[in-house]
Amino acid sequence: MSKLLIDVGSTYFKVCQQSGISQYFRDFKKDIYDDLITKCGDIFAQYKKEDVFICSSANGGLSTLIIGLTNSFSLKFAKNIAFNSGINIIDTILYSKIEETKAPLELVDVVIVVGGIDGIGNVFDEKLFKYLQNVQYSNIVYVGTKQDANYLKEHLPALKILGNIITGKLHVNEVELKEYLTNLYQADIVGKEDIKHLYELTSNQIYSTPYIVNRSLPFIDANFEVVNPFIVVDIGGATTDIHYSRDLVRDNILTESEYDRLVFKKLGVYKSRETLVFAAKNNEFVYELLAYLNVTENILEEESEKALRILMQLSIFLVLYKVSRLSSMYVTLHLELLKTVVLTGGITKVLSYEEVESIIVFFYKKVMNLHAIPTIVMDYNYAIWTLGMSNTETRS
Amino acid sequence: MKKVVTGVVGNDIHVVANRLIDISLQARGFEVFNLGVNTSLEEFIDAVVETDADILLISSLNGEAEGWCRDLQFLRSEYSLRDVVFVIGGNLAVGEAKQSDIIPKYQSYGFDLVFHQVDLNTGLDTLEAYMKERA
Ligand code: B12
Repeated sequence: MSKLLIDVGSTYFKVCQQSGISQYFRDFKKDIYDDLITKCGDIFAQYKKEDVFICSSANGGLSTLIIGLTNSFSLKFAKNIAFNSGINIIDTILYSKIEETKAPLELVDVVIVVGGIDGIGNVFDEKLFKYLQNVQYSNIVYVGTKQDANYLKEHLPALKILGNIITGKLHVNEVELKEYLTNLYQADIVGKEDIKHLYELTSNQIYSTPYIVNRSLPFIDANFEVVNPFIVVDIGGATTDIHYSRDLVRDNILTESEYDRLVFKKLGVYKSRETLVFAAKNNEFVYELLAYLNVTENILEEESEKALRILMQLSIFLVLYKVSRLSSMYVTLHLELLKTVVLTGGITKVLSYEEVESIIVFFYKKVMNLHAIPTIVMDYNYAIWTLGMSNTETRS
Repeated sequence: MKKVVTGVVGNDIHVVANRLIDISLQARGFEVFNLGVNTSLEEFIDAVVETDADILLISSLNGEAEGWCRDLQFLRSEYSLRDVVFVIGGNLAVGEAKQSDIIPKYQSYGFDLVFHQVDLNTGLDTLEAYMKERA
């Protein structure tokens, strides 16, 4: 008996059967369950619940605020772990400057507090509590020196205490915090009422889509013409994800995982179109890029097929820019070492290979000052997603 | 047990002395946090803060320490590190240079003890004596 694989995205559903993949635009007036049943009810009727596998990326994305003792250790380690768990960092705060720092206005999903190796105490004091009074957050986790844990817990009853991410040798220990954040992320996606309802359609665990893509990465080079190191760029309706080999990062952080991931929550071509346009307009290269594509900035306000293609091209550029050394906000990837760029997500249904290539040529020439570009692989049939889904299924 | 943060500052990759320093300090009963070669001044200071170290012992072999250590006073005042002993040693200038020029210069950057082309054991003996005197 064959399987039915479903991916619930922010803008459309993907449905994969042995006969192939089809996709349906979401109807936002309906809840996800009703929408799926209306569109694919007769497909579901052909499968048993145990043969249906669902993953979701609908409305995904958690945010964090990190408070740490130093830039080189506490903040650097916590930032790295948060990025790898797919969490968006709203801000990082150096503890010595906390009194001069403004609290973020938006609701923070999780606050991370970190500082000091085990064995040293009195790192944190009332300044922390005073600051947190002005922060709206849903979760708070402590991953600093053991000695301060009880004191902090007394003042912050909701505090979750995990093992120190800074080891006695000043190396990173990412295991516990990464697991905690990944679970929080997973719980956020599959805990939404809309998604819970989908358990009427499947008896299998529902996963988050980024988790599924991440699972497929070790198999990618066996299934595609991909040479290591590579990145996978997943440009969707609401968010853009980039998964990359650890070989592209050169830092003093030693980790076990071979692949990491970074999410840009507000870089999608449909649902977060405005923030994408905003980011584009603020990029120093954008006018040159638009000229290179033979369009003017007016295109960014248009609602045409052509405008959509341009936006998608822009998002490829912006993602690469954000992980290049010109932008220090995120992880810096050594893109000069990159051998392959794999593109997946809705973008492969819209852009041609040549359109993608022209953007990557522009990026390497302008930003990297290089004439050679990595090989481009287009995942036209969402094979990466199918690969990840099938592999989770055989695991469970 | 006194805690020492050590390493080689800046773009300096001379690693042999760094290994010897790590071993010698441990043999003398210090707890050592070795950041290795190619370490920036900010990383040194941050490591002192994270470990609450008593001593920062920087070495520099290629002669370029000066350019890397000028910001020491500034960084030192960012955190309250008044009680930490700052030590630097190795080859502290490019080519020939007089001790009488080098020592006051590095002291003015905020180092308590300066060892230009001084043998390691002599330097560490001086450091231990200095720590005793302060205690
Ligand atoms: C091996 C070596 C290299 C190797 C290093 C390999 C490696 N990964 O370690 C290589 C070939 C890569 C190299 C490269 C360079 N090197 Co070189 N190198 C040497 C050499 C021959 C030996 C160094 C060594 O390991 N000695 C053994 C250790 C145990 O001794 P030490 O390093 O002197 O350390 C002792 C003391 O200085 C002291 N000490 C050190 N730190 C501290 C700290 C304190 C607190 C105290 C108390 C004492 C102390 O204790 C140690 C034990 O007694 C020296 C010349 C020499 N004979 O010393 C040049 C030398 C250090 N190099 C030098 C130079 C200029 C370079 C280059 C710039 C050359 C170039 N133009 O490319 C590059 C720099 C690369 C870089 N980015 O750092 C110069 C530095 C000149 C100066 N400061 O005035 C030297 C002195 C050679 C010279 N006479 O010109 N080098």
